[in-house]
Amino acid sequence: MNGVNRKWYDGMAYQEDWWAVWLGLIMFGAGLLSIVGIDAVGWFAKPTTWVWGEAGVFYKASGKAYKGMSQVTSIGITYIVWTALVCMGAYFQKLNMKKFFLGWTGLFIITYIAVAIGFEAHLSAPINKWGKYGLTWGLSLGSGVAFILCLVVGLIIGNFIKPLAAFLKEACKPEWYIKTAIVYLGIKVGVMSMKAAGMTFELALAGACATFVAYLLFWPIIYVMARKMFRLPREWAAVLCSGISICGVSAAIATGGAIRAKPIIAVMVSMLIVVYAMIELLILPGFYSTVAPDQPIVNGAAMGMTVKTDGADAAAGAIMDEIMVANAAARGIYWEPDWILTASIMTKIWIDMFIGLWAFVLAIIWVYKVDKQPGTQTVAASEIWFRFPKFVLGYVFCWFFYVAIAMFAPDIIKSAKIGAGTVQSPMRKFMFMMTFVAMGCITDFSKLKGMGRLALLYGVALVVIIAPIAYAVAYIFHAGMMPPLVGS
Amino acid sequence: MKADIDMVISHDGEKWIARNDSMAVEGRSFPELDANLVESLRETGRYDGSHLTVFMGFDITTIPSWIHQYAPHYFNRYVHVDV
Repeated sequence: MNGVNRKWYDGMAYQEDWWAVWLGLIMFGAGLLSIVGIDAVGWFAKPTTWVWGEAGVFYKASGKAYKGMSQVTSIGITYIVWTALVCMGAYFQKLNMKKFFLGWTGLFIITYIAVAIGFEAHLSAPINKWGKYGLTWGLSLGSGVAFILCLVVGLIIGNFIKPLAAFLKEACKPEWYIKTAIVYLGIKVGVMSMKAAGMTFELALAGACATFVAYLLFWPIIYVMARKMFRLPREWAAVLCSGISICGVSAAIATGGAIRAKPIIAVMVSMLIVVYAMIELLILPGFYSTVAPDQPIVNGAAMGMTVKTDGADAAAGAIMDEIMVANAAARGIYWEPDWILTASIMTKIWIDMFIGLWAFVLAIIWVYKVDKQPGTQTVAASEIWFRFPKFVLGYVFCWFFYVAIAMFAPDIIKSAKIGAGTVQSPMRKFMFMMTFVAMGCITDFSKLKGMGRLALLYGVALVVIIAPIAYAVAYIFHAGMMPPLVGS
Repeated sequence: MKADIDMVISHDGEKWIARNDSMAVEGRSFPELDANLVESLRETGRYDGSHLTVFMGFDITTIPSWIHQYAPHYFNRYVHVDV
């Protein structure tokens, strides 16, 4: 029964969620080879800061073992290896291989050009590095400008160059790419745990508590609002409510399935969520960075609870991380990068994990109370597993593997970090950038037309309920937490 | 959970449709679908007097493919019927 999840292992070969785990673990394994002295990932092309008017070296191999490699060779190997990997995944997912290959190639080229532009020194170099690049002026936007450029380019394609968007569409899989990146982030968190174990686990625990509290508040408030103020039918209210208040499209689909709503309801709500997630992503990083420049972790956690869809949340967290770290550096405070992003992803991952349980509870309520057909229907607990985000398994595995290295084999930390350094940083950021371009390409703002009450409810709920409560809850659980200082 | 009969369920915009190799039943609501299922089972003459568990797994491929990356599962339902 293709397309049906029946056994616990169904989907392992053909679902994107599982392919995020496989791609994550392939590179995780390749990175680990550095323990035995083989840098199997150091060929990866990472962007390097360059100065306008000077001979351009835009990329270089990330590993020291590949120091002499030219940027053309490094980019070429990166393209070939990654194209082979994602095409393998696309094949098993039964995507149109020709369209996927061409679309992926297009996305790769667009992303690498946008990132290279974003690393121009006048745009990205922090003020304390102007001397190094011989600059007299600059915007000091950090590498966040590359992230923003990728998004903007994607949005321009998605909204103004629709034939190109259609050409790229088969390969525009932002959730697949970001989930793969989040598995790599597991390595990063593992490495961070080696340095600051207490802070990492405190962040995870605070994220779980905050998420739980936010859940209990968001859903009932917005459901009542949808039913009483906006007069939405019960099914529409429940699906939209989960989409707005929990984790976006996956929550809308999970809830739609749990309450046995017509699929069209979940699909329409999902279209709305994707567009709104982009709006949140464009506004919130700058807003939080400006309004609360001294609350990096609170901002990150609030972002995770506010911005829907993993891709948009990761993008927002990454952009805010870059902006806030660069702004703090301009004030003479040098925070370690990626802690703000980690805060935003951790709350989001908790939310993603809870959705399976929440949908199960809703299914029981609906089957046994709302649409009661005594004795005729059963809800199986396996539904929780089918809705569990599998990429989290890869994330947690990578995280705890590196924690285990630190605890049980500290003498190999140094060599383990060589491979991990490439996978958790340039490779992860590459998948982020691909996500941003892909997400922009599939976001068509014109889809908001005709959404009427749904769009209005989403906007009102976001501004009046979600964002303020998320920030308050994030503050309660994360107040006082700060990223470690560089070199501390 | 074990089932006596496995079916695939989808929605065509108006009706729920459950089918397998030997039968297909429709209904605008689940009670109507389940009633039609019992009727179809009776017509086969193979299950008279039986208490059956029917598995209906939603065919996710009937949902637009761009959504699969966010959620690869819609729902499964187990229906208990007396034929």
